[in-house]
Amino acid sequence: MSGKKPSGRILPREKGAAPLDVVIGVMAFLAALALGASLIADRAAYSWREGLIGKLTVQIIPPENGDAAAILSQETAAALTVLRSTDGIVHAAPVSQQDEMALVAPWLGADAMVADLPMPQLIDASVAPGARVDVPALAAKLKTAAPDSVLDDHSHWIGRLKSLADAVIWSAYGILALIAIATAAAVSFATRAGLQAHHEIVGLLHQMGAHSGFIARAFERHYTLSTLAASAAGACLAAILFIAAGGLEFAGIEPVPFLPPLSLTPTEILWLSAVPIVSGLIAWVTARLSVLAALREIY
Amino acid sequence: MVRFENVGMRYGPGPEVLRDVTFVLEAGSFTFLTGPSGAGKTTLMKLMLLAEPPSRGLITLFGNDLAVTKRARFPELRRRIGVVFQDFRLLDHLSAFDNVALPLRLAGKRAEDYEQDVAELLTWVGLGDRMQSRPPTLSGGEQQRVAIARAVVGRPDLLLADEPTGNVDAEIGQRLIRLFAELNRLGTTVLIATHDRSLIESTRAREMRLVEGRLVELRARA
Repeated sequence: MSGKKPSGRILPREKGAAPLDVVIGVMAFLAALALGASLIADRAAYSWREGLIGKLTVQIIPPENGDAAAILSQETAAALTVLRSTDGIVHAAPVSQQDEMALVAPWLGADAMVADLPMPQLIDASVAPGARVDVPALAAKLKTAAPDSVLDDHSHWIGRLKSLADAVIWSAYGILALIAIATAAAVSFATRAGLQAHHEIVGLLHQMGAHSGFIARAFERHYTLSTLAASAAGACLAAILFIAAGGLEFAGIEPVPFLPPLSLTPTEILWLSAVPIVSGLIAWVTARLSVLAALREIY
Repeated sequence: MVRFENVGMRYGPGPEVLRDVTFVLEAGSFTFLTGPSGAGKTTLMKLMLLAEPPSRGLITLFGNDLAVTKRARFPELRRRIGVVFQDFRLLDHLSAFDNVALPLRLAGKRAEDYEQDVAELLTWVGLGDRMQSRPPTLSGGEQQRVAIARAVVGRPDLLLADEPTGNVDAEIGQRLIRLFAELNRLGTTVLIATHDRSLIESTRAREMRLVEGRLVELRARA
């Protein structure tokens, strides 16, 4: 018997990359960048929060009159006594002048002039995990013991960081939603164009008794596979960019100063594979619905 | 099997191309549909194929009144009909084998269950060595034989053929008619539209003649 099994491909194979493949590839690239950005923002917000929660900072502002150094030293000791006697605070220590200079160096530089500036004395304090400290009461006690002290529990800063990270994350989700809508629209348009291009085949299959579902499956298969391939290429390109950013940071080159690291962890890189998977699902559902709707209109 | 009662058909606001057509094709009958070009033969076949609804009148197919039959059942009815189109309508990207196997795939059959039948049928119509050829590489006569093999491979209850021997030589034409007669003997109702008088004279089948959209003659041949 010299026959062979059917090819399974009811629609003819497209030659070369169709415009849809290019559009899907670019959108998948952008979607992967947006997803990567949301992962980076989420990780950065978590690390910022973890770094600041449970920390208190007391600033002793240098007085303008009198023996500033002596007053500063006296108030620092008084503030340390208050902090160390407060329930829940497990550690309190003054920040050394060297460390303070290092903190301001990115903004003011590190030359000799800076050393002459009236720098406040900083005290770092740590709160025991799970302990609650009455911050206003502690601030009042510190004011009594050290009138030039200012207590900062970082809640304002943490709140702003959280808002910033949330804005980045929700913007990324918005971009992903827009890209999903655009992908669905592009596939729907391409499917209808495909129906037009193959209307003779569709008409013949219909005439031979093919159910709409059979015809829809031929289109689903066609567009799902091409979308999977194109979106995988786009997501791979984005992954290469994130890996390259990681390589730069590993080499000590900061791609964007003051921003968190732009590289993704291996687990986060794996998350980018969701882009082609979701794109394929969108293409599958959109192609099916578009073909079934068009067939209802035509036949 | 097929019943037309006072069927009329017009396309849009144009004139009627079929008028008050009434006939019955009994199960297992063999009928030629004749008439000059433009008489309405192709339109009559389109109505029987469920490709178009009639403008008026009643059509009953396999015992189903089409006016009240749900459209969801049409695919099932269409799969009981084998069709040889005048322009063949083969899929150029599929091989001759895959074209012939298409109705069986649509019926949900597995490849291993029909491979041998398809190969044997292609051999029978003289295309045993062209199974993997695509239609554009086949001659007109070869394409016509693929189209006929596709129409009969599923042993349809009703076979409709529009000028099925128009592109083949006399010997192949007689062979195809024998194929149709054999199918008819096995129970398939056959309707062939043709201008070929020699083909009609070679059988004892009855003849329906259409002229200007009207059925003017419906006679059994002696």
